[in-house]
Amino acid sequence: MRKIETTLPALLNEIGAFYLPKEWHFLSVNGIDLGGGKIELQWIFSRYGVKDEIVIYYALSDYETAVPSIVSLIPSAIMGEREIVDMFGLKVDGAQRGLYLDPDSLPHPLRGES
Amino acid sequence: MKKTIQIPLGSQHISLLEPIRFKFECENEKIIGVDADVGFVHRGVELACTRSFEFKQVGYVVARVCGLCAITHTLSYTLAAEKLLGYEANDRIKYLRMLMVELDRIHSHMLCLAHTAENAGFEALFMQIMGDRELIMEVQEAISGNRIQFDYISIGGVNRDLTSELSALIRKNLGLLAEKIDTLIGLFDNNWSLSLRYKGVGVLSLEDAYTYNALGPLARAAGLATDVRAETSDFPYEEIGYKMILESTGDIHARNFVRLREIVNSIEICRNIIENLPVGEIQEKAKGKPNGEAVIRVEAPRGELFYLVRGSGQNMLDRVRIKTPTFSAIPAMMEVFKGSEYADAPAILASFDPCMSCTAK
Amino acid sequence: MKFFSSFRKRSPWVLHYNAGSCNGCDIEILAALAPKYDLERFGVINTGNPKQSDIFLVTGPVTYRSRERLVELYSQIPEPKVVVAVGSCTATGGVFRGMYNVEDGIDRYIPVDVYVPGCASSPQLIIDAVARALEILETKSKEIEKPFKLFGAIETIHNRLSRLNMAAKVGQNEKN
Repeated sequence: MRKIETTLPALLNEIGAFYLPKEWHFLSVNGIDLGGGKIELQWIFSRYGVKDEIVIYYALSDYETAVPSIVSLIPSAIMGEREIVDMFGLKVDGAQRGLYLDPDSLPHPLRGES
Repeated sequence: MKKTIQIPLGSQHISLLEPIRFKFECENEKIIGVDADVGFVHRGVELACTRSFEFKQVGYVVARVCGLCAITHTLSYTLAAEKLLGYEANDRIKYLRMLMVELDRIHSHMLCLAHTAENAGFEALFMQIMGDRELIMEVQEAISGNRIQFDYISIGGVNRDLTSELSALIRKNLGLLAEKIDTLIGLFDNNWSLSLRYKGVGVLSLEDAYTYNALGPLARAAGLATDVRAETSDFPYEEIGYKMILESTGDIHARNFVRLREIVNSIEICRNIIENLPVGEIQEKAKGKPNGEAVIRVEAPRGELFYLVRGSGQNMLDRVRIKTPTFSAIPAMMEVFKGSEYADAPAILASFDPCMSCTAK
Repeated sequence: MKFFSSFRKRSPWVLHYNAGSCNGCDIEILAALAPKYDLERFGVINTGNPKQSDIFLVTGPVTYRSRERLVELYSQIPEPKVVVAVGSCTATGGVFRGMYNVEDGIDRYIPVDVYVPGCASSPQLIIDAVARALEILETKSKEIEKPFKLFGAIETIHNRLSRLNMAAKVGQNEKN
């Protein structure tokens, strides 16, 4: 497992330079609440045909900053992005709430108390 | 005037085992756009794993994410937790775990095949496959005590041992099943009405498989060589006769064939495990509290299952991230629907073997 | 009416809805319909249409998004109907009890006649439950088929003449 730190503004360029569709399998977008209004966002890739090679791009952010969408590079990321919009109440372009949650559900279940 | 019509499918429908709602945008009989609502069974397992349950209990909670691949969920979580505790299982435990995962794969694939047959209008074949599937359910019940939701794996080992009577039962049932699968392969290959329904229908090209990150049997049917069993080193799959199954056409027929041949391969793996089962303890002590971050990938029947577990030395975990196979396969599925006939939609859907309770958690 | 009831007694049709379960009970329902356990020997057929069903098999603790559909399906099944709650989580919420997107058990929304325990419920239990549901269905149909006794007595309630109890079922209000 390799972890690479990045920032949200540089994300699209970094993943664009890194991601080759025939070499890397995009796993998912993931968020981890760090407490105190901070969140760690992760973009996880694995390599086809190579043992145990997982690359995680991660960026630290807060809940107010909009997260850039990587759907233009990786179309299947739409599911993961819609999920973090639901679960953390983040803003992602092109992804709206309502994949899992109903209007009367908890507003953002996985966001910690701040 | 509007040229297209919208046809809904679901959330309750005879061809659907689980609630999912599709909105097909159709031009005459052709589907040109799909919209899916997959959140019907969202329960909130991820939050409960970190708030309501201690790390020793979480393995049994995540099993309830999905009844079909419960064992792979427990296995992935357990592996991640064991990694954080700094514990590695002995060979006997590893082999027993592999045995259950492969048995689970066989029964899950058979359920999917039965379901595809039913959606092709072949009710008798559905009944036949469901009847044959009971051979495996019998084995699972004998080993673990329950047919489905067997909480067989726990942190530090497995909960029941394999006796020699059980090995004999497994050997007998696998032998019976192997013959039946041979007939099934012939039937799926040569039966005229099944071919008419399956061949050339619902095609996913190799290019699309790469673009949309297809996985599991869906990707392998399109010729994309990806299998987590070959891409991780948690289990010694090579030494017990694992082979990657690839097809090239990417239609429903190819998907069925990947599943059928994987069943044959899994039967062989199970036999090898029973013949070469190492001696050792089945339950060891794994002490401490989970600290750090671990990622685990396990090949579930539908493709790659991914767990990310983060703990900070407490009884409660900080984060349990579950990425299930159907969840990441949905964009590829939507792509397959576009351009096919509306009448084929239930058959195509069944051939993906979608698992909504996995997707929505 | 008699003509239909003899058929309904021997071939009840079931409607199955997954209201958020883990699939475990759903595949056990399928297994119960399949050759080894063979629920179909009672004439039970799994239909997809609520309007032709008699027994409603529900699995899962009701999730928020499936509440509406559950009640809608229930109300579309014609009387008499029997609801069978399959699985622990359907009865009480089970392992999902207290999670943020579930209601604990379906009896918050629709009346349940038979509860089946187990996670996952075994096919034997499901067959037992359906057999029990058949008995209940019979009692319910008898109840419905009881004729109304028309032109009963006009009563005085709160010093006013009332026709409310005029059309009582036979057997009820025998004192009239």
